[in-house]
Amino acid sequence: MVVFTVIAALLIVICWKLADLQVLNNDALQREGDARTLRKEEIVATRGNIVDRNGEPLAMSTPVVTLWVNPQEVMESPEQAESLAAAFTSLGLDAEQTRKRITDKAASEFLYLKRRVPPAEAKVVLDRKLKGVYAMEEYKRFYPMGEAAVHLVGLTNNDEIGQEGLELAYEDWLKGTPGSRQVVKDRIGRLVRDMGVTASAVPGNDLVLSIDSRLQYLTYKALKEAVALRHAKTGTATVLDARTGEVLAMVSQPSWNPNNRTSRNEEGLVNRSMVDMMEPGSTAKTFTATAALESGKFTPDSIIDTRPVVIDSHLLKDPVAYGPSNLARILAKSSNVGASRVGLELGHEAMLDVLKRVGFGENIGTGFPGEVSGNLPAHDRWSRSDTASMAYGYGFQVNQLQIAQAYSIYANRGIRKPVSLLKVNSPVEGKRVVDAKIAADVVQMLEGVVAKGGTSVAANIPAYHVAGKSGTTWLYVTNHGYDSHNYIAHFAGFAPVDNPRVVIVVSIKQPDTSAGQHVGGGTMSAPVFAQIAAGAMRILNVPPEVPGKTIHAPALTVPRPPVVDEPDADEAPPVLDEVEVGSGNGVTQR
Amino acid sequence: MTTMTMPHTLSTRQYFGDPPLMIMSMLLLTFGLVMMTSASIEVASRTYGDIFYFFKRQLLFLAVGLVMGGAIIMNPMRLWYRSSVLLLFISYLLLVMVLIPGIGHKVNGSSRWISLPGFSLQPSEVAKLFVVVFTAWFLSRHRELVRSSLRGLIYPALLLAPVVGLLLLEPDFGATVVLCLAVMGMLFLGGINLFYMILAGGILGGGAVLAMVTSAYRLHRVTTYLQMMQNPFSEDVVFGDGYQLAQSLIGFGRGEWFGVGLGNSIQKMYFLPEAHTDFVLAIIAEELGLFGVMLLLILFFAFIARALIISRRNEESGRLFAAYLGYGITLLFLGQLVINSAVNVGLLPTKGLTLPFLSYGGSSLIMCMVMVAILLRIDIEHHLYTTQPRAMPPQHMGEVR
Repeated sequence: MVVFTVIAALLIVICWKLADLQVLNNDALQREGDARTLRKEEIVATRGNIVDRNGEPLAMSTPVVTLWVNPQEVMESPEQAESLAAAFTSLGLDAEQTRKRITDKAASEFLYLKRRVPPAEAKVVLDRKLKGVYAMEEYKRFYPMGEAAVHLVGLTNNDEIGQEGLELAYEDWLKGTPGSRQVVKDRIGRLVRDMGVTASAVPGNDLVLSIDSRLQYLTYKALKEAVALRHAKTGTATVLDARTGEVLAMVSQPSWNPNNRTSRNEEGLVNRSMVDMMEPGSTAKTFTATAALESGKFTPDSIIDTRPVVIDSHLLKDPVAYGPSNLARILAKSSNVGASRVGLELGHEAMLDVLKRVGFGENIGTGFPGEVSGNLPAHDRWSRSDTASMAYGYGFQVNQLQIAQAYSIYANRGIRKPVSLLKVNSPVEGKRVVDAKIAADVVQMLEGVVAKGGTSVAANIPAYHVAGKSGTTWLYVTNHGYDSHNYIAHFAGFAPVDNPRVVIVVSIKQPDTSAGQHVGGGTMSAPVFAQIAAGAMRILNVPPEVPGKTIHAPALTVPRPPVVDEPDADEAPPVLDEVEVGSGNGVTQR
Repeated sequence: MTTMTMPHTLSTRQYFGDPPLMIMSMLLLTFGLVMMTSASIEVASRTYGDIFYFFKRQLLFLAVGLVMGGAIIMNPMRLWYRSSVLLLFISYLLLVMVLIPGIGHKVNGSSRWISLPGFSLQPSEVAKLFVVVFTAWFLSRHRELVRSSLRGLIYPALLLAPVVGLLLLEPDFGATVVLCLAVMGMLFLGGINLFYMILAGGILGGGAVLAMVTSAYRLHRVTTYLQMMQNPFSEDVVFGDGYQLAQSLIGFGRGEWFGVGLGNSIQKMYFLPEAHTDFVLAIIAEELGLFGVMLLLILFFAFIARALIISRRNEESGRLFAAYLGYGITLLFLGQLVINSAVNVGLLPTKGLTLPFLSYGGSSLIMCMVMVAILLRIDIEHHLYTTQPRAMPPQHMGEVR
């Protein structure tokens, strides 16, 4: 009887405890259980593609497979060593080294075997059905244009987060929102049950750039060749659509292929069209001429003395004497003396006014990371040399895109259109900033620059009229001043002249001058302009103005005949050593 | 008395032991085999690449158990009676052997197994039965001494002390407790003086406390257990020794009324160590729910009740050795069952005890089947004794003096 009582008591105690655990108070236990087994798995969302204006991909996400191993499991199966070694070799890994890597981490449960393997390559390994070898789906960013567009498109890091360029600027737009699903996993991390999607992945948006990849590649090739030919340190070129203000191409040198990350080169990532600041040099004479015509003090026919002049105790002279010249000749010959005299006559405010209207000193607002706005001088007291040097492009800083924007205003005969890196679908409404007549007069002067006798004959292309202005900007070297061996050769222009389609600016910085070659924008950058412009005409299907032959603008009628044909005549030092420049501009002391 | 009218020879050939006990033990074995397999497939597939690895081995042990059980059923109980002292010494021998490095085989710090080709023998499983056989022999032979004198307690205690000591040396505290409880129960049923009984209980209890305090690992288990009572999921517990129990409790909690379904346990997926051995009950609870566990416990207790009834019948008919042996075996089953399920549900600190019939393990399963066979043989002999008194005279057993 006692025995039965004891047994019954034991039975009751156990049953009471069972009921307590299983039915009455099981919530906490289930919570604890769920905490150990329920896992949220991320569903990878694809990042938006970046495409050019015609839908050609510039950056795209392709599925890849990341292989990882559970070293614990691998160590438990020594019999598969041979097959494992073969798998490592097929992945291009050193079998012995990899085995050691796994052995060193024998106690851990996760180790990357190889990240971002092409799916076909991964399949070969996975088909071996090795214990402890797992796959994880990921996406890898691929840049079809490679080094030709990296400066603009930028790049992402390994986790597909934008790091540079537009990839960074439009991160929020491009990135997808990962989804999640709830799964039950066992203790070694294997999937037991899929409980369903709790949030579906939202893919990122595509970004349509205004770039035309054909033009981009053409521009890239032309610039790269020129930079190599001149042994220049850097170079940059920008092509704008004259009608819409869209950027059709934007390239920089040096460059770097973002698809091959073994040697990252920060220099090769800098977008020198928007990030580098520089003085515009003689390309700014266009704006001085505009101010001159606007002032009413000058007409296209006004004659200006170009004899050397002393400004604030500095003697300013042109390389050769151009004699009394009109504005067109001053531009064509790029006379610093002539520009200075005009500038001094106008005063700094009239010139600043034009510079502001054509967009200098103001951020274009593309949102590109590191885009500079440049700066216009703001002296408390303007010296004569300040005013004179501004007339031929020193003493203020701009980026190349701003020069392109300013020249697009002349292409549109005085209408300023917003510059855009993204494709613009609706017709662009511009704003008149320069009188149409004055703009047309200036364009005529710019045609003179590429005409026979001008500095930039090399800018001409077959079958179309072009217009533009060269510029050679001496670089301000810290503690040393301006130096004739460190300069940027510019050419800014557009084509065709009568109905412009493209505005092109080419800048080649610090070419090698050791062999005594010392050539300026008209010789160095104008041919690159010509190469790009000719290609652009073809690519954009622009009807030829003069089929089949190279044409030159008619020779200028000037009061006195030109003294010498000197293509590099615009190469002259600025009048002053102490011209204020920002730290971002100068090259450092060699 | 219908049996009296039946032909004697036919009757002896047809009676293979108590049918309810046989059916219940068969049900337990079948149920155990299914649940042990379910609990072990994940570990089996990962460790041996064969999900039925443990199933196949258990099936083999079952076959061995059937052969041994059959042999026991066919042989008279007097063989056990006569060799009971020998069996005690065999227990000594086995328990000494297991402690010798090279013969004994250490797992998790305890030497509990003797490695044999293809099989590990767990001497404590064997010793439990042999000690019970010896105690039954002593009780039946020296019944009066036990009832009247302290010597009746001291003699067996002296003979059993080496077994207890050797078990603690392994160490196998669980087996020690089960064995002591069974022996105490047998003494109680043998009519020992209640005062001696309390005395012995006090000594054993004191000894148990001493055993706990002197062993760092046992003390640690107890402190862990006390921590568990406070909060089974505190970090100290879960990341320490309480991990196993915490996972076991989660298994029970997940089961609810009818469980997550056969084969659907998550705890067996490497969360709960020893899911197919000591903690198979937690997996049953998870997969079959409170309903399944209750069904199993009811079946188990019915089995134990039936075994008690068989033993009681023998006592009533004066076949004392058979009766005490039956009681002892029943108490072993009861102790293992109660302690194992109490450990599983967190009522007792964790110790390595198998659940009879259900846990994976050759020694355990085979000894269970041997003990069932003994119970059946006892019943057969009682049947023969009551139906054919002359065919099997009592003096052959020697109990009735």
